Amino acid sequence: MDRKEEGYENIKRGLEINPKSSISWHVYGLVCRNDQKFVEAIKCYEEALKADSDNIHILRELSQLQMQTRQYNKVVETRERLVKLNPTFPSFWMGLAVAHQLTGRYDLALKVINAYEDSTKQDNTFDPLQMSELLLYKNWIMELSGDYQGAIENLKEIRAHVRDITTWKEQKAKLLLKVDRKEAAAMAYQDLIERNPENNDYIVGYLACNGLDMTRAEDQDAALEVIEGLQHQFPSSNRLRSVPLTFCDGENFTRVAEALAKHALRKGIPSLFANVQALYADKAKGEALGRLIESCATQIRDTKRFSDSTEDESPSVLMWCDFYLAQHNDYYGDHERALSLIEDAIRASPDTVELYMVKAKILKHAGDIRSARDTMDFGRQKDLKDRYVNSKAVKYMLRNNELDEAEKAFLVFVRDDAPHKLQELCEIQATWYMRERGHAYRRLGDLGRALKQFHQVASSFDTYQLDQFDFHSYSLRKATLRTYVNILEWEDTVYSHPYYVDSAKAAVGCYIELFDLKQAGNPFQPIPERTETKPLTRNGAAQHGHPNISAGVGETKVVEVDKDLTGATYVNADDHMAEALKLIERLEGAVGGQPATHILAFEVHLRMRKYFLVLKAINTLRGIDAEHPALPTMAVRLGYALDADESFAAPMKAALKGQLSKSFGDVSIEQSVETHGESLAFAIEGAKGLLALGGESNVAKAKALLLAAPSEKYGNMRTLLNLQEVNQLLAKCNISDSERAGFAANAKQVFPLATCF
Amino acid sequence: MITVRQAQAKDLIEMQICNITNLPENYQMKYYLYHLATWPELSYVAENEQGRIVGYVLTKMNDEDSSPMPEDGHITSLSVLRSYRRLGLAERLMNQAQRAMVEVFGAKSVSLHVRISNHAAYALYKNTLKFDVDHTEAKYYADGEDAYMMKRSLTGLYPMEMDSMDF
Repeated sequence: MDRKEEGYENIKRGLEINPKSSISWHVYGLVCRNDQKFVEAIKCYEEALKADSDNIHILRELSQLQMQTRQYNKVVETRERLVKLNPTFPSFWMGLAVAHQLTGRYDLALKVINAYEDSTKQDNTFDPLQMSELLLYKNWIMELSGDYQGAIENLKEIRAHVRDITTWKEQKAKLLLKVDRKEAAAMAYQDLIERNPENNDYIVGYLACNGLDMTRAEDQDAALEVIEGLQHQFPSSNRLRSVPLTFCDGENFTRVAEALAKHALRKGIPSLFANVQALYADKAKGEALGRLIESCATQIRDTKRFSDSTEDESPSVLMWCDFYLAQHNDYYGDHERALSLIEDAIRASPDTVELYMVKAKILKHAGDIRSARDTMDFGRQKDLKDRYVNSKAVKYMLRNNELDEAEKAFLVFVRDDAPHKLQELCEIQATWYMRERGHAYRRLGDLGRALKQFHQVASSFDTYQLDQFDFHSYSLRKATLRTYVNILEWEDTVYSHPYYVDSAKAAVGCYIELFDLKQAGNPFQPIPERTETKPLTRNGAAQHGHPNISAGVGETKVVEVDKDLTGATYVNADDHMAEALKLIERLEGAVGGQPATHILAFEVHLRMRKYFLVLKAINTLRGIDAEHPALPTMAVRLGYALDADESFAAPMKAALKGQLSKSFGDVSIEQSVETHGESLAFAIEGAKGLLALGGESNVAKAKALLLAAPSEKYGNMRTLLNLQEVNQLLAKCNISDSERAGFAANAKQVFPLATCF
Repeated sequence: MITVRQAQAKDLIEMQICNITNLPENYQMKYYLYHLATWPELSYVAENEQGRIVGYVLTKMNDEDSSPMPEDGHITSLSVLRSYRRLGLAERLMNQAQRAMVEVFGAKSVSLHVRISNHAAYALYKNTLKFDVDHTEAKYYADGEDAYMMKRSLTGLYPMEMDSMDF
């Protein structure tokens, strides 16, 4: 028995002897809390209160646990008792106000703040910073309650006590606009723009005061005029210079773009393309930008100067034109032209690291992963002190499945004194790196290590979620209530971050593979340690800049030596589908609107033979996208599974099949692919479905669909990603050497530079 | 097409990613949260049109001495992605942070640490952001490298604004 279990046993024994002891229940609650068992902890605290109902410590800690578990109505109750018990503690009042706000009772929140203000009127010792925060919080609550006029009057009253001038001015502008006092609001926004001419919200607000909306086509000319007026007042603003590109078209667009581009080309601003790339979603704008820079390049080549200028430009202008046009052509998939342009740029300026970074990116898009990696690494070698190009090189190495090389490069920037350098990556939450590593391991078939990486990403997000705990007390003490609510809102969405979602989905995929291998009687074995992946260990002292804020849950942890480098824990889990299900549940809560969530739920429930849940996944996906290419194959596969499962009760089987045929009729995979004959997505999903059904003829049909993936008829659906997926699926189709060579040749028609087929 | 605005909780993950892909000094999420919860006015982000954080300044007041009202702001971390340099973002981010330090906390100066070997960062702080070396701190960094403690006076840079109450 380890120490922790021993501790739990001792507490339980104490409770057996004295089941009403408040102290014992409190201690039990604290232990549960430190183990992040918040729900259990709450039960203990409630027991503890039975014998000691006015214990302030217990009530305060209980309210924090209730915040953590989002039981806002309970928080209100607990905090009301705290205020009654000790009205001199400012944080009790603040906690109660926030609790009312979170239950939507702005009226009660205001009452609490007003009562608190009254009780402190005589108190000159109150921290002016905290007072300022509280006043702005109150103003915000007034706004939320819809009392805009009252909030405006309130702003005037509090100005002398407010320290956060920016927020005060923002509130003023926003509220005046809300009550439609456009002239006064315009002045307020003008004032804000003067303080920060790069803030888009201010510009949008100022336009709104003029009755203009950038997203309305008919406002274009008038909005442009207003913006140009502001440009004259604030000539240094990048945002004002570029914002018309988002809402202008035609001649307006070209005129604005030309001025912006010439400025950037002359100054050698490498982000010109990145800066305007979002505009490419509008085809006309993308093409206009391409024509514009082409014309700039032609003018310089012919006359060394722009046609509207009397001075020769520096040769670097042409280099930056080529740099832009390389990215432009890459965007449209013309990789050969893009490469030739970037080579021109490199010849003109062989020491500019940015050029190699773009060249590497083009090669990656073209499917030449190896050269992409080499090029990025070449750029890295040119500036070894720059972590940005280092990170890119590491990423490209991982895309090329070079885990050891990537690690060596990555560790250049990991502090030397870290007791275990790889552990340090988890400590500093290097989620991007873990995720890329996970994918590399998965491509190499090392499911154990892949799962380990994906779980490390997940665990970083778990930590993010737990991190809020200390702020249930800290933020109240600091009176930064607006920020506190902002933190709570963010924490509620933390698992919807793309890194978490992607890693969780990949982990579910790994578990499915593990399950299937086990079912096929060929269980996956963890791949033993290779010497070169052992963690580099060093000793050293503590590091600057890592504070411990207050006591509580997330105290600094002792770094433990990693005992499971191969991911055996995950590989040897008793029930792979149960593990996958935990992740699925998280995904359903965080990104229930994404089709992939329900496709994975389908795969897991089908393997668990939970047919009603399988149908639910199908129906949910149908609700999101009735034309989703995976739907027909999902319906067919459920039908097959029901037919094959003799242990499943006949009446339920009939009910499920009835539902299926009501929604999908007599669909077959072949039919659905045929009906959507020009959709590569349907072909790929069809092939996957046929492979899942298995059997010689289905596999043969799948193979035929996949081999045809590079066909002309699929047009620009033949992305590199799609063709790579097809390539992987083909490996499961008993493919012959000549068939593989044929496919590779066809795929290379689409991606001539690709080396990945 | 970049917007510069106050940092919010929803930006913190992206700030952490921006930091870790760009700079050698890295921090746990809790440290970012600590900044935001203590000095919510001081940190700023630069966001591109696709909503990606391409630069940030993570800022605090120097709370190491125990005075209740510290007068020195401190730049914990300032970062702009390499592909977004030369747009003046560092200057713009710093400008906003510095104004907030003065207005909210009455800061008289702002300081930061830089590795003595980091010539690029030194040049940025010295030439663009107008910092001067105050002194050298021996073995400041965990790996034993010294730091320049650089400082800039904020006196007179951001005069108090008078707001009309006639609205």
